Amino acid sequence: MTAFVLRRILWTIPVVILVILLTFAMMKAIPGNPFRRSDRPIPESIQRNLNAKFHLDDPWYQQYALYVKGVFTFDLGPSMVLRGRTTNQIVKDNFPTSIELGLLAFAWAILIGVPAGILAALRPNSIFDYAAMFFSNIGFAVPSFLVATLLIYFVSVKAGWVPTSGWGEGWQPDSRKILPSLALSLVPMAYFARLVRASMLETMQQDYIRTAKAKGLRWRRVVGVHVMRNSLIPAITAAGPLLGYIITGSFIIELIFAIPGIGTYYVTAVEGRDYSVVMGLTVILSVIIIIANLVVDILHGFLDPRIREQSA
Amino acid sequence: MGADEPSTAGAPIRQASLWRDAWWRYVRNKGAVAAGVIFILIVLYAVFAPIFSPYDPNKVDFALAYISPNLEHPFGTDQFGRDLFTRTALGGRVSILIGIGAALFILVIGTAYGALSGFVGGKLDDAMMRFLDALYGLPYLPFAIIALQIAPSVNAFTMMLALSIASWFTAARIVRGQIISLKQNDYVRAAHAVGARWQRILFRHLLPNTLGILIIVMFLELPGVILGEAFLSFIGLGINPPDASWGSMAQEGRDAYRVYPWIIIIPSVFIATLVLCANFIADGARDALDPRTRE
Repeated sequence: MTAFVLRRILWTIPVVILVILLTFAMMKAIPGNPFRRSDRPIPESIQRNLNAKFHLDDPWYQQYALYVKGVFTFDLGPSMVLRGRTTNQIVKDNFPTSIELGLLAFAWAILIGVPAGILAALRPNSIFDYAAMFFSNIGFAVPSFLVATLLIYFVSVKAGWVPTSGWGEGWQPDSRKILPSLALSLVPMAYFARLVRASMLETMQQDYIRTAKAKGLRWRRVVGVHVMRNSLIPAITAAGPLLGYIITGSFIIELIFAIPGIGTYYVTAVEGRDYSVVMGLTVILSVIIIIANLVVDILHGFLDPRIREQSA
Repeated sequence: MGADEPSTAGAPIRQASLWRDAWWRYVRNKGAVAAGVIFILIVLYAVFAPIFSPYDPNKVDFALAYISPNLEHPFGTDQFGRDLFTRTALGGRVSILIGIGAALFILVIGTAYGALSGFVGGKLDDAMMRFLDALYGLPYLPFAIIALQIAPSVNAFTMMLALSIASWFTAARIVRGQIISLKQNDYVRAAHAVGARWQRILFRHLLPNTLGILIIVMFLELPGVILGEAFLSFIGLGINPPDASWGSMAQEGRDAYRVYPWIIIIPSVFIATLVLCANFIADGARDALDPRTRE
C-alpha cells in the first residue's frame, strides 16, 4: 500500500513541472507586452526599469528557473497590471469563494445525482429510470450559461425566491449561493447518476450477488452492502475529473452571477495580458486538479486492491 | 463460367461488408436515426437559411429592435434589429464549422500520436504514454484560452486549433489501444512474415481498420468542442460580436435576457440540441460498429 502511494505521489512531481513549463512557454509566446498600453505609452527609461524588475530581459530559462523556484516557495509573483497586488493576494482574496462554490456544487451533485442513479438502477426501465436518464442527457448537453440564465430567469425574476446575483460573506449560509452552485452542479450530477446506475446494473449481474440472494440474504442487505460497495468505486474515481470540470465551469457561473471568485479574475487577467496572474492561476488550478486526481487515485487503490497491483 | 462471374440465377447478389452491416445496425436504433436527421437538418438550416433569407443579418435598424418571435421574424430580432432567424443560421455555420474542424484536428493529432505509440511499442510507447498522462493534468479550458492568446487573431481556424490542442489526449489513447489490439491479429503477422514493410502494414492494414473507432471518437469529441467554443465566445475570449457564432450571440443576449430572453435562449437551445444529437449519434455509431460492447 505505501509503495503504491509513494509511486503515485512521485509521479505528480514531473507532471506539475511539465504544467509549469507549458504554461510558461505559452505565456512567453503571447505577443504583446503588458506594459505597452496603447493609450498611454511608457517612456523608455521606465520601460527598462520595469523589464529589469520583472526580469523580462533575462534569457527565458533564467526566467523559468526563477519562476519554478517561486512556485515551490509559494511565491507566484506580483501582478503586472494591478500595481501593489501580488498574485498571492489575489488568490487569497478570491479563492475561498471559488472553493466554496465548487464544494457546494459537488455536494449538490452527490446529494441528488447518486440517489437518482441508485433508484434508477433498482427500478430499471421504469418511468423513473427513463426520466432520470433523460434529464441526465440534457444535463450534459445544455451549456452552463443557458442553465444559469434560465435558473435566474425563472427562480429569481419571475418567482422572486432568491436574489439574482452576488455572493454572501464568508462561509455563512446565504440564499444567493443556491442558484450558482446548483447551476454548476448539473453536469457532475448527470455524470454521477449515469455512472452509479450503470455500475450498479453491472454489479447486480455478477454471480456473487446471485449467490447472496440464493443463500437467502435479505435483498436489502445484498443491495446495501454488497452491491453498493462495489458500485460506488467507479463513482469515486470519476470524482477527480469532475472536480476539474467544476473548477473550469466556475468561470462562467461566476461571470453570470457576479461572484467575486478566481474565475472572473482569470478572464480579466488573460484579456489584460497580466502574465504573472494568468500563469499563477493556471498553475494553481492545474495543481489542484492534479492533486485531486492523486487523492482520488489513492482512494481508489485503497478501496480496490486490484488497482494497487497493476500500476507500474 | 469462372468463379468471379456475377450469378445470373435469381436476384442479384449484394455483398455483405462491414459498412453495410454497420449501417443496418445503426438504422435499427431509432434514437440514433432521429439524432442523425436532426443533425443534418440543423446543418442544412445553417448553410441555406442565410442564402434564402430576405434579411441582411448585419444590418442595424433600431426601429426593428427587440421584436419577439412572430411570423415575419420566426426567432425575433435582437437589440440591433437584426433578424435572428438568419443570424442564428449564420452563427450556426461558424459554430458547426469550428466544432467539426476541431474534432477533425483532434482525430489527426490523436491518430498520429496514438498510432506512432501503439505501432512502435516498447520503450517509446511507455514514454509517450507517460507523457500523455502528464498532459492529462492540464485543465482543458485554461489551456485552450492560453493557446488562443498565442494566435495573432481569433478566428474560426485558430479556435479550431486551440480547442483541438487542448483535447486530443483521449483520442490518442483510444487510437493507441486500437492499434495495439489490431497488431495481434493474424493477418498482420502474415503480412509481416511475407515481408511487407512497416509502411504497408501501417497504412494498408492497421489504419483503415481504425476508421470505425475514429468515427465514434469524432462524435464523442464533438460535444466537448462545441461547448468549448460556446463557452469561450460567451466569456468574450472566442468569437466576438459582431461576428456571429452561437456563443457570441448568447453573450450579446446576456444583458437583456430578463426582458427579452429569446436572444440568449435560441442559440443556446441550438447548441444543446446539436450536442445531444452528437451524443446519440456517437452511441448509435458505437453500437453499430462495435456490437460486442452492447449490454
